[in-house]
Amino acid sequence: MSRTAQAGTLESMDCLVTVTEANAGSGISLGITGSSAARFKTAMEKKVHEVLAAMGVKDIDIAIQDNGALDIVLGARVETAVKRLEREE
Amino acid sequence: MLYLPGNNPNMLTRGYLFGSDGIILDLEDAVPMREKDAARILVSKYLDLGEFGSCEVTVRINGVDTEYWKEDLAAVLPYKSLSGIRAPKVDTPETVKILDEEMSAIEEKNNIPVGHTQIFCLLETANGIWNAYDIAAASKRVTAIIPGGEDLTADLKTSRSYEGTELEWSRRMIVIAARAAGVDPLDTVFPRITDDEGLRRETEFIKQLGFAGKSIIHPNQIPVINAVFTPTEQEIEKALKIMRAAKESAARGQGAVSVDGRMVDAPVVKRAEYVLQRAGITEVD
Repeated sequence: MSRTAQAGTLESMDCLVTVTEANAGSGISLGITGSSAARFKTAMEKKVHEVLAAMGVKDIDIAIQDNGALDIVLGARVETAVKRLEREE
Repeated sequence: MLYLPGNNPNMLTRGYLFGSDGIILDLEDAVPMREKDAARILVSKYLDLGEFGSCEVTVRINGVDTEYWKEDLAAVLPYKSLSGIRAPKVDTPETVKILDEEMSAIEEKNNIPVGHTQIFCLLETANGIWNAYDIAAASKRVTAIIPGGEDLTADLKTSRSYEGTELEWSRRMIVIAARAAGVDPLDTVFPRITDDEGLRRETEFIKQLGFAGKSIIHPNQIPVINAVFTPTEQEIEKALKIMRAAKESAARGQGAVSVDGRMVDAPVVKRAEYVLQRAGITEVD
């Protein structure tokens, strides 16, 4: 079974990020749902990819449930979730 | 200074808008163990990119008796928006020295002038109160000492009363130690967030003791504390009168002078200066 990790909450101005390990070469699979997803999906995707690139992550599945998280919150939650997943390995 | 939970984006975003002089981004008691990593990352992002207006920004780290404090310092010290750290459970001057050493190493690594980041010490045990002066004088970084509330009460083996009798001597000790060492005495929080009258009474009491400010846990407490600490128009007018008279007397080469039938000498001028400083008046015409 694939390992997963989570960070964040569903409180106002936060988001819940769930990351699941992926096979080498499978790339980044990203799904965003929630209050800001319809309007800001492209910007949010860009932020997530920036954080993953800075952390050197190439293969991962990410699901984000957003409740109005600012850019810095989204970045912080993704970073925390990935670090938690790495710690489990 | 208003405590904001370090893992709460809503409060970290809006906290500086409530009108306190400072905010304390809390990595300690407001954050459960399993969320320490998340709060540390979130707070560091806010320090890097967040908005804080004119608020003084500090971070309460975890105590040196925990596994978290070094990572806390490494995560927050590199950012310019940080004025200082609040260190919990400082019992002895050695605790300050341990912090000072670690902070200097991080500052050096990040090209920050060594000694730039201040330390606000929380004295939360009987031992800490007893060592108050030595703690306040242990490093140039120490800017303020603050008595604990709940932890100190527990260490004194008593309970928190409405009147605060159990903390009275500790508060007096903090003021004397802080003033002797040339740092600020800041008071602990008032825990009953809906009791404005109790908060006002306690704030008037601690201001009279000599405290320079008070920590708070809810934005609703800010107007009550500001009302007590902000000088009234009468106080400002009197202070201005004293400062003008002192200025004129100095220009004439005289020492003491009389204002409204009262002798004005150096201590009176000093008090007047302090009133004007609290009112935000820096120059007297």
